[in-house]
Amino acid sequence: MTRLLLLLLPLLLASCSTTPPSRLPATVEQARTSDSDARRALTDGDPVRARKYFTKTLALQQSLDDTAGAATTMINLATVAHQLRDDEAALSWLDRILQEKANIYPDDARLTAAFRKAVILVDKPLAAEADTILKLAEQLCESKCESRFSISVLRARLLMLSGEMKAARSLAIEVSSQAAAGREEQANALRVAAAAEESMGLMTDALQHYGSALQLDKALGLSSRIGDDLSGLARVSAKLGHEREAGEYSRRAHLVKESRGRMSDVIQ
Amino acid sequence: MALLEDKDERFKNLFGKTAVFILFAALGIGLTFLWIEVKRGAFTAMSPIYFVADSGLDLNEGMPVKFSGFKIGKLKTMSLDERGHVQVGVSIESKYLDLIRQDAVVTLKKEGVIGDGVLEISKGAEEKPALVPGSTVGFQRASGLEQAVIDVKNRITPILDDISQLLHDPQGDVRQTLSNLREFSADLRKTIEKLDHVLGSVDQNLNQEVVPLMRSLRTTAANAETIAGRLDKQLPELLEKADSSMESMRVTSESIRDAVKQSAPQLPEIVGEANDALGKTSRLVDDTQSVVDSLSSSWPFKGSVPEPETGPVRMDSHD
Repeated sequence: MTRLLLLLLPLLLASCSTTPPSRLPATVEQARTSDSDARRALTDGDPVRARKYFTKTLALQQSLDDTAGAATTMINLATVAHQLRDDEAALSWLDRILQEKANIYPDDARLTAAFRKAVILVDKPLAAEADTILKLAEQLCESKCESRFSISVLRARLLMLSGEMKAARSLAIEVSSQAAAGREEQANALRVAAAAEESMGLMTDALQHYGSALQLDKALGLSSRIGDDLSGLARVSAKLGHEREAGEYSRRAHLVKESRGRMSDVIQ
Repeated sequence: MALLEDKDERFKNLFGKTAVFILFAALGIGLTFLWIEVKRGAFTAMSPIYFVADSGLDLNEGMPVKFSGFKIGKLKTMSLDERGHVQVGVSIESKYLDLIRQDAVVTLKKEGVIGDGVLEISKGAEEKPALVPGSTVGFQRASGLEQAVIDVKNRITPILDDISQLLHDPQGDVRQTLSNLREFSADLRKTIEKLDHVLGSVDQNLNQEVVPLMRSLRTTAANAETIAGRLDKQLPELLEKADSSMESMRVTSESIRDAVKQSAPQLPEIVGEANDALGKTSRLVDDTQSVVDSLSSSWPFKGSVPEPETGPVRMDSHD
């Protein structure tokens, strides 16, 4: 009997140590599954399906009073709407977080919403509105948040939009030298610096920065930005009188952009 | 005749009775034929309308002419004129002529994807006068399945060519990335060699903390080199696979075109079946994904599955 108990003891201990966790309420699980489906759809390049699943996720989160989760999903819905070129819908989703008077959403969600709204407004381009909302993002970030480098690059873009090329260039170069910014934002910063230099007539510097941005974007495999870098290189080379290089860059930019455009058409 | 005279009352006036019977039978048959002809429109007032076709392909005498989905006439005559064009005459029920305008166009279509050919006549512009018997209208052929496949092929082939060019061009961005990777790998090797050299020459009595730090650095560099080496080896293979896949796609695209030309009637069924199979596969994948999702969130698999992403979807300053 004692031997039997000794044999059973390790099994009992093992079962105690790996007690299965209690199952989550069904609605929470449904919300998580729907969120995963939406993210998977987005990864598969199907934003329409992603929007459908994110909408379902939001309804479930709201029924659970999960305000933090709902804020994240609204940001994701705005991102999907922006990808679908429906900026009005994107801004509307972000405003639901930013204009909430009861202050129920977490600060990091408000920061992300403010940053993304500013990106959309800079793209439009609505400089004054973008400046107001970017200031809110900077205020919430206090130069400590994870997205501080992205905010700085966006500030540089906004400075360019306002015609302050020198300040834009200086800020962009500063961000491009920060490894912590990540390669995507470093490449973005280099592109902004190059564009500012192009406007200021500093063609040699612009050529160098577009080239550096191109190397980073190639490593990241971002085809639309590779196209932008090549177009920049083509423009600057032409202004420097390097006709052969300009033609070659222009041809490559055209190939990249056209292939991307055709792929988008086929996917749609 | 008197010898054969029958005294039975039932046989009296037999000729007359037989004649009446035959007359009624003939009348019944005649009325049946008349009814059939009425139904076939033999007594309906028809009006001839003409159009000129570039070729008589797919046009047949007796082919129905439809208006808003209803049969209103049929193709009566076809003849080749001195210019090599086909003069086609259709007869349309006269009562419908008022509904059709003089700028109406006859379109040769297929009923469904694999159905018979049919001539569809459009209404025409409201402000134009109504069609009169003997008028000539325009003619066109609707784009068929073959044309649709050729259009798709014409759109896909340039994309494949562009991608192939991007991959093969030594100055192209993909090849250039690969080249950068090789350079990166070579630099790493040099770094490792330098670190080995330094490690070998370090005085054993030197601060003991420096050596582990440098060993750690060497391990990191070696790991990075392994990854870079693996990528260096795998990327060309992937590119070759991509090349061969694209070649296969091009060949498939050509085959589809040929198949459509030779066996167009069979293709829609194949396409239908393929769509059906794709739908089933998609549902199967979804179901499998649901099972995997359920399992991954359940004990005992939960611990070995990475936590799902929960934060906002990535978006940078240039998205």
